[in-house]
Amino acid sequence: MAGQVPACPQHMSLEELRTAVVEGERTAAVAATRSALGEGVPARSILDDALVPAMATVGDLFKRRQYYVPEMLMAARAMKACMEVLRPELVAAKVEPLARVLGATVQGDLHDIGKNLVLMMLEGAGFEIVDLGVDCTPERVVTAVREHGARLICLSALLTTTMPAMRETIAALEAAGVRGQVAVLVGGAPLTQAYADEIGADGYAPDAASAVDKAKEVLARLTA
Amino acid sequence: MPEETDGRPVQTEQGTGVGTGLDHRRRWLRTFRFQSVDHVPDEEFGYWTDTYRVWQREGLPREVASEAAANRYFGFAPRARVPVVMGVRPMLPVRVLEEDERHRVIVNGLGQTLLQHKDGTSSIPHFIRFPVENRTDWLEFRKRLDPDDPARYPANWEQRLPEWRRRDYPLGIAVGSLFGWIRNWMGFEGAAAACIEQPALVEEMMEHVTELVLHVLRRALADVPLDFADFWEDMCFNSGPMISPRLFRRWMVPRYRRITDLLRGSGVDIVYVDCDGDITELVPLWLEAGVHCMFPLEIRAGTRPEDLRATYGRDVLLMGGVDKTALIAGKRGVDEELARVVRLTEQGGYIPHVDHRCPPDVTFDTYLYYLKRKRELLGVPEPEAPASERVRAAMS
Ligand code: B12
Repeated sequence: MAGQVPACPQHMSLEELRTAVVEGERTAAVAATRSALGEGVPARSILDDALVPAMATVGDLFKRRQYYVPEMLMAARAMKACMEVLRPELVAAKVEPLARVLGATVQGDLHDIGKNLVLMMLEGAGFEIVDLGVDCTPERVVTAVREHGARLICLSALLTTTMPAMRETIAALEAAGVRGQVAVLVGGAPLTQAYADEIGADGYAPDAASAVDKAKEVLARLTA
Repeated sequence: MPEETDGRPVQTEQGTGVGTGLDHRRRWLRTFRFQSVDHVPDEEFGYWTDTYRVWQREGLPREVASEAAANRYFGFAPRARVPVVMGVRPMLPVRVLEEDERHRVIVNGLGQTLLQHKDGTSSIPHFIRFPVENRTDWLEFRKRLDPDDPARYPANWEQRLPEWRRRDYPLGIAVGSLFGWIRNWMGFEGAAAACIEQPALVEEMMEHVTELVLHVLRRALADVPLDFADFWEDMCFNSGPMISPRLFRRWMVPRYRRITDLLRGSGVDIVYVDCDGDITELVPLWLEAGVHCMFPLEIRAGTRPEDLRATYGRDVLLMGGVDKTALIAGKRGVDEELARVVRLTEQGGYIPHVDHRCPPDVTFDTYLYYLKRKRELLGVPEPEAPASERVRAAMS
């Protein structure tokens, strides 16, 4: 791939940035982001042509079991650090995120490792994240949807005993009249596609890497 | 393989094979040596704390509110560990850092900082900070992992030896954890990040634990003939191990090996690891490390006892592997699930039971049905004592 990219300085720094993110080298990634900005590369291009593809590569490596959680986490942290540098520029350039996403572990459940990884991968794909944390009541989710105008909700449950709280959360969104404006994506170890269908979720994904594809898919359906 | 680890003669049942009159200990050992037994040991993993409360409303006597009580009440085969403290000692007194009407921030005995809700909105603590973030923290924390701490052994150790030497049940020792503990001490993200950013620290911690376990083990091994040793890791989830097999092999395999070599040299030849999730990628490495019994074989995560047997034959021993979600589904689920494990049980080297603590979404009625059917299918006699007596035993 590198061979096809013309060796102009702009592409060089984006290439360096991609590599630094994939390898989880935070300091190098931030330096490459700064130098790309310094060279006049538009913030949008840094996001779309370096950070997003880098995180897609990370997701792919994870799916193929070449990356495990630590490698994925380091890449996500590097990407996050770059986003801190980039965010003011993106705001100034009026670059909109793909969508605003709410993430929550449902009521009664404290497992958050999986949810955190899913949110990091979504952030890496260009979504804006609002993390509601763990043990979220349906009411909290409803309030947050209204407050943040989110288009996608990611609900996580790791216990068979808290899976019903997903159904209750979806019911609460319906009762509040906001169900139509958000897509609901569910996941967590005990979940299945069948359960997601049964409770009326818009999508399910088995891991953080496929969550990104699924998020894009359900959002496309929501807008269609 | 020797007939018995402590050199005691075993009743020989030549020819016909089926060993009647086996005590719990011999039955357990013979099962794991693929020798004939009258029936497989009658064991279960345990229950969530919530489960007792829910089942008490469904007919479980109120006296049965702990694992020890439940084991006696249901009449399971006894199995025990010597009361040696391998891990962090002492636990610190709980400290309150901050408190208002709604919340309380505490540091618990291990050193984890937690936010608790006081207003009844949630009974779930939120982790805020873990005791080890860097090497400075570790050097402080390590003081509570002192191999020479005399309190690792109970004061009445010597007095209990005769009873243990005479026992008729399997007795073992917990031998700690190389990654699981580090995850508890650093938090999952902290531990995962440390694997990449502070690998020397991770290795230093693993090395300290290894030396601690080797040191503490020696006295127990010299004093009592033990039947098993167990590690706790819980380092896998639905997509496999939390860290790469490459790091696992480099950091953990040789250290497990030092421990399992010492154990085997002292006749402890059953070494199991407690690890939830999909363990498939780690099984060959555990086998290489001398840890050859897998527990609890979480079905929904993709760990199936029949697959492990097919791949590793008699090199692997198995405990667990009955899908808890089948019990949640009800009696039909139970029948299908038991049909799956009966044949494998007959081949030996496997003790089937629920693949984790039984959750409260399994009804008491379904659980009783599960035990009854399991005992029927596996030829395990129902406990002899009437329920009233078992309640009394449960309280004792
Ligand atoms: C680590 C762990 C814990 C830690 C959690 C720490 C934390 N901060 O999260 C601690 C020790 C605190 C814990 C506590 C408990 N746990 Co626990 N825990 C686990 C364990 C071993 C791993 C979970 C994990 O972190 N995996 C790593 C992450 C990366 O994977 P993941 O969460 O599955 O997420 C991935 C996918 O599922 C997906 N995903 C997750 N969320 C979402 C959301 C969306 C929208 C999408 C698309 C995808 C997605 O993407 C993620 C990344 O690829 C599992 C075993 C297992 N099989 O999963 C048990 C497990 C979940 N725990 C279990 C139990 C029983 C408990 C306790 C009740 C124990 C007890 N008796 O006290 C308590 C519950 C407390 C509570 N109320 O929540 C059981 C649940 C059984 C059941 N009936 O459901 C399990 C399955 C163990 C078992 N073998 O049975 N646990």
